[in-house]
Amino acid sequence: MNGVFDAWALPAGIDPPRGGDVALPAGGARLRVAAFDAAWVRWLARTLRAASAELRSLPVGAVAASLGRVGARFLDEEDPIRTRALELMPAESGLSPAMASAVLDGMAADWTEERLVELLRTDLGDPTVLDRFVDIGRGSVRALGPELCVQVVSGSVPGVGATALVRSLLVKAPTLLKPGRGDVVLPVLMARALREEDPFLANAVGVVYWRGGQAELEDAALERADAVIAYGGDEVVRGLRERAPVTARFVGYHHRVSVGVVGREALTPDTLHRTASEVAGAAAFFDQRGCVSPQVVYTEEGGAVAPSVFARELAVAFGALEKLLPGGRLQSAEAATLHQVRGSAELLAASGSGVEVHHGGAASWTVVFDPTRTLTAGCVGRVVRVVPVADVLGVAGLLAPVGTHLQTAGVAGCAGRLEALAESLASVGVCRVTPFGGVPFPPPWWHHDGQGPLRALVRWTDVEG
Amino acid sequence: MSSDLAALAVVLETAFARGVDAPLPDAAFDELALRVFAHQFDTCATYRRFCEGRNVRPETVGGWEDVPAVPARAFRHVELLSGPGPVDATFLTSGTTAGGGVRGRHAVPRISLYRASLRPNFRAHLLPEGEPLPLVSFVPCPEVAPESSLSAMVGDVSAAFCDRTWWLADPRSGTDANSFLEAAHKVAEDGRAALVVGTAFAFVHLLDALARAGRRTRLPEGTRVMETGGFKGRSRSVSREDLYAGIRERLGVPTERVVNEYGMTELLSQLYEPVLREGPGSRGRHVPPPWLHVRALDPATLEPVPEGRPGLLAFFDLANAGSVAHVLTEDIGSVAHDGVRLQGRAPGAEPRGCSMAMEELMSVADGEA
Repeated sequence: MNGVFDAWALPAGIDPPRGGDVALPAGGARLRVAAFDAAWVRWLARTLRAASAELRSLPVGAVAASLGRVGARFLDEEDPIRTRALELMPAESGLSPAMASAVLDGMAADWTEERLVELLRTDLGDPTVLDRFVDIGRGSVRALGPELCVQVVSGSVPGVGATALVRSLLVKAPTLLKPGRGDVVLPVLMARALREEDPFLANAVGVVYWRGGQAELEDAALERADAVIAYGGDEVVRGLRERAPVTARFVGYHHRVSVGVVGREALTPDTLHRTASEVAGAAAFFDQRGCVSPQVVYTEEGGAVAPSVFARELAVAFGALEKLLPGGRLQSAEAATLHQVRGSAELLAASGSGVEVHHGGAASWTVVFDPTRTLTAGCVGRVVRVVPVADVLGVAGLLAPVGTHLQTAGVAGCAGRLEALAESLASVGVCRVTPFGGVPFPPPWWHHDGQGPLRALVRWTDVEG
Repeated sequence: MSSDLAALAVVLETAFARGVDAPLPDAAFDELALRVFAHQFDTCATYRRFCEGRNVRPETVGGWEDVPAVPARAFRHVELLSGPGPVDATFLTSGTTAGGGVRGRHAVPRISLYRASLRPNFRAHLLPEGEPLPLVSFVPCPEVAPESSLSAMVGDVSAAFCDRTWWLADPRSGTDANSFLEAAHKVAEDGRAALVVGTAFAFVHLLDALARAGRRTRLPEGTRVMETGGFKGRSRSVSREDLYAGIRERLGVPTERVVNEYGMTELLSQLYEPVLREGPGSRGRHVPPPWLHVRALDPATLEPVPEGRPGLLAFFDLANAGSVAHVLTEDIGSVAHDGVRLQGRAPGAEPRGCSMAMEELMSVADGEA
């Protein structure tokens, strides 16, 4: 990473407090963190909130167009914004350069004007409800974004913070966004690009990074918020939920787990290779840090190819993927856990339990065929457990204990039974069922953790008449 | 044939009985280590296949470093017993959330070997002025917690070195200030220096209770405290400085008389800060007994790091002859000729990501049910 990157982007004329900057090493990168204090954050929040009236006067189409222009720049190979992002992302996130580039492509694809308009239409019907009352026959309705949206984002997957920023701006909400370590660069670059594309809109955005756990800064930001969006672990989300103003709307994207379900139709000699490649791709993307990333793949017995054979093919696929989209650098705690996971699995294998272990040595990918269903995988690099099941329709029963934390189920080879499978998975808590190829990047119209992301932000006013 | 645990244990117990100050040269340690490994290879089929999977057999091993290490978490998943049953004891780990609530099991076929390691090491670090002495324990007694290796340790210390013991930890109600003050009063009447043991968490609890009651006491001069364990999984954590200041203020035991013990269920030997032997300058450094060797390994490659550099700690404990001697932990520390400097769990141990291991969530769900 070249030079020092300022971990903030602020409205015109606002500077971060002077003095006391701290440079954080981030895998060779240097992030300059300003010494924000509670009074300054409170003042920033007030300033942003004051931009609400003017922001609401902008037509939603114009907002989407401006954001779309910014999004397109992240996809343009010639654009210095994209170049800078790709320079900084690997050092900041620990992803390999190839993976960082693939992540940016996937994320930014959803930031184009076309996709943003699609998102608005899906979530709100007629997007102009954000501009004026719209006649619905028996009356008319109007949707208003919050006057100040405060977002606290985890740093696990780069792009999540920028997507969060796009969403709140789409509903014309001035936004104070506190990104997580590991995902600071993209929202800051997005806000800077926005300044170039639409200075007026950019004046309603403050992206400020401070080190996590500084409750007094969070409290200062939360004070005047009428919407609070929190991404992170259960504890972080719980803390913010408790401290958000009672009148603020709260959306918590807490811990989630995702799984895969492979039916016997996908386990034939002809389909085996393709199935394994798609499952490996779904699990390896984001180095498995995404809430959509499958950790356990329930694999049906009774097909032409046994689940243990599928596990071996999956290992081959991970090995091939390592060349295309290499795994990133593990933190030492993650590396330590990976040794524990692999070694425990190897000992279970040696104990005659039927467990089989395949791994990439220095590469983190690890496939454990686990008929005992007793191992712990841990979220450390690319680690997948293949668990054999007699019938894919029995998977929902196994997942019921973690129902409130379920997210995506990637599926293959369940064609004739998809409806019954989806019904059973939905009933225990799964929010999304998709072919493995679609796992990493949900479509713009998805119900994020079970609800429309823009609908979750707006307040409706009805005129009955 | 090296697979006779009883014969091997006698050799080891004799070596341990020479105490922590008797030198055990590297060559002698290696010789014992290889005998232990050969025994474990012969008698623990799971471990043997694990070693064979890594192309390691007793005849290919040159020194203890070449013996395959098992990860500490493996004790949760497989039985690692090297010796005939029935076992004298089975110790269980506390079952952290990160392990899905599954508790590790350490089978101990010969408790005499455990005691042979424990006693001279404990005596050297906690009882340099001799014994017997009264014991105040905030660790539950072995009858109450038969599966706890810490309770077994304090139970044996009580039996071997103490002429009077107050067991103050009620597993249900915890420690109340009054029962401690009563015991402290009797210790003071007796006028002899005492031994006080407990987990860091138990001491925090006690100090809070004393502070709430506005009470303090002064244990007789010469009293020493052994504290152990961290705050993992607890809602409240306190810095070691604050804890020791509280012990000085409320118990009247000066900081230079507080010894930290580092141990784990998976290892039958312990490490201590040698503050009573070498003075307060040794704070922050833990010393293993001669029969416990330790290395720091690069977390990514598992290659040894240079002396004094931090790495993942791997231990070879001859007292583990009845299970598996070479254990890879998740703890980070640096190793030098004079001991180990612990840095706790590997930094960033909080999982990165909005995803969380499924088993961790399952254990949360179980816990809430």
